[in-house]
Amino acid sequence: MERMIEKFYKSLGKGKIYGTVCKKCKTFTFPPKAGCKNCGAHKMEWKQISGKGELLFYSSGNLPPLKFAKYHPYAYGGVELKEGPVFFTLIEGVPVSSVEAIEKQNKKMPMKVKAKVKKMAGTNIVVFKVVK
Amino acid sequence: MTHVGNLREKPVITGIGCTKFGSVLSTPEIKGLAFQELACEAAFEAMDEAGVDPKDIDAFYIGSMLSQTSHLYSQNTQIADWLGLEGKPGVHFATACATTNTGVGLAAMDVASGKYRNVLVVGAEILSSTATDNPLKKQPLDPGMLWYWTDFGVDQAYAYHHAYDIATAYGGLPTLGYAKKYGIPMEKMDEAMFAVHKAVRLHGSKNPKAYVQTTLEQEAKKAGFKNAWEFWRSRKNPYLAWPTRVKSALNTVDGASAMVISSKKEAKKYFRKEPVEVSGFHWASGNYPWYGRDPTDWSLDKEAFGAAMKMAKIKAKDIGYLDVHDCMQIYQLIESEICGYFKKGEAWKAFIEGRTTYKGDKPMNTSGGRHAKGHAFAASAGAEIYEAVKQMRGEAKGRQIPDEPEVSVVHNHGYGMHSAVTVLKR
Repeated sequence: MERMIEKFYKSLGKGKIYGTVCKKCKTFTFPPKAGCKNCGAHKMEWKQISGKGELLFYSSGNLPPLKFAKYHPYAYGGVELKEGPVFFTLIEGVPVSSVEAIEKQNKKMPMKVKAKVKKMAGTNIVVFKVVK
Repeated sequence: MTHVGNLREKPVITGIGCTKFGSVLSTPEIKGLAFQELACEAAFEAMDEAGVDPKDIDAFYIGSMLSQTSHLYSQNTQIADWLGLEGKPGVHFATACATTNTGVGLAAMDVASGKYRNVLVVGAEILSSTATDNPLKKQPLDPGMLWYWTDFGVDQAYAYHHAYDIATAYGGLPTLGYAKKYGIPMEKMDEAMFAVHKAVRLHGSKNPKAYVQTTLEQEAKKAGFKNAWEFWRSRKNPYLAWPTRVKSALNTVDGASAMVISSKKEAKKYFRKEPVEVSGFHWASGNYPWYGRDPTDWSLDKEAFGAAMKMAKIKAKDIGYLDVHDCMQIYQLIESEICGYFKKGEAWKAFIEGRTTYKGDKPMNTSGGRHAKGHAFAASAGAEIYEAVKQMRGEAKGRQIPDEPEVSVVHNHGYGMHSAVTVLKR
């Protein structure tokens, strides 16, 4: 069995963001998984994402996990990747300063966003930044 | 939808049991109880009520989600003699917060297979504290630690490390999505969530086993507010993740629930009341995220409701009582529409009109749900089955639905995410 989780995180360190594509039905999965979410096939190919996507919605919770407590408050939202999957992560470039600001900004959805690798709480992760 | 076969014969629920929900550190009825003792209290109530001789319980299931608090693994071994079931086949199982809903189906299949006659299902959870090296001492559990362990239940490989935010993902965005989908102004949406909460509190105030037993109106008055709405919108009820307020979320508690599931033939031998039939059940397991562009569109729930209702041969119009997972109260709206109890976009109005209280024409979550009754992870689903059975038998006392429901549907989410639905008939 391939060490998929290790490969995903190590690749982020080299600036590469990988997903997987099903060899059988061509469905794109992000982040990488061993099985296809659509047809269940077990043969997946690695493919970098374009990084393009649309932010669908976001808010900011007051119960962040311990690991991310030092970044609180932060925006957390759902991004639809150009390749299809919806991925939830930290969002940069949208306000979290007040409820009113979050409400106002959510009326402007969807917004174009771009993926970037960011080191947070000791781990390289994928976050999305609003494209100006 | 998954192929749904049917059981050769539908088993029944006879005895049911449930402890008071609260804290083993402070709630008088359960103060000082250990995991084993909580489990026994619920299990003994269920077995005694069923009237079954313990020798005739052929197998048992014991479930809990966080063994980090009980420090008990393979709980079936350590609980067997406590339950008086030493040497019987036991299984420690878990589907997180849906555990004791899933247990109904597992036990039903066991009985229908002919291998066992009577099966005991028990769920217990301690969330206030952890066991320590000293049997006389429990260590109070920091909420940050509790959620640290709990959030590992959500796509640990990826989502957890990608700033996973439970309040936003599970509360805020589905609430925002519901309002957006049906064009409900945010202030009106807040009013709908206020109405859901008032029903939650009304039911809790009439349930002696609930953790919170005051109504929202009583709490508002005590806090010096002139009415409940003003209190709802005040700093006393801040946003957990806009637009979800703190009071729209669960309260974590300790507790246990249990039930005895038997063949109809066996139930006739020892059970003196009207048994409730396990008519249908189904589960759907999936990883995070649980929804895409539409945060109210949950494919796992559609699958579980659809297959369970098909197995039970019921339509939405047949449901007399509905209990849905309400760790976040927005799911009272979302799930009641997914299963068809309300038409799409209609649930929020029904709550404002008060139709979902025990006195209404569309009763829901009459135990007080996971805020007022409280949420003891693996034990909660069983407590909700307990409530449905009580309502169907006409034993719910101060919160009894006037026309005892003939068909009840109970839905649960197990982090994250296992959707479980059980259909009961009398």
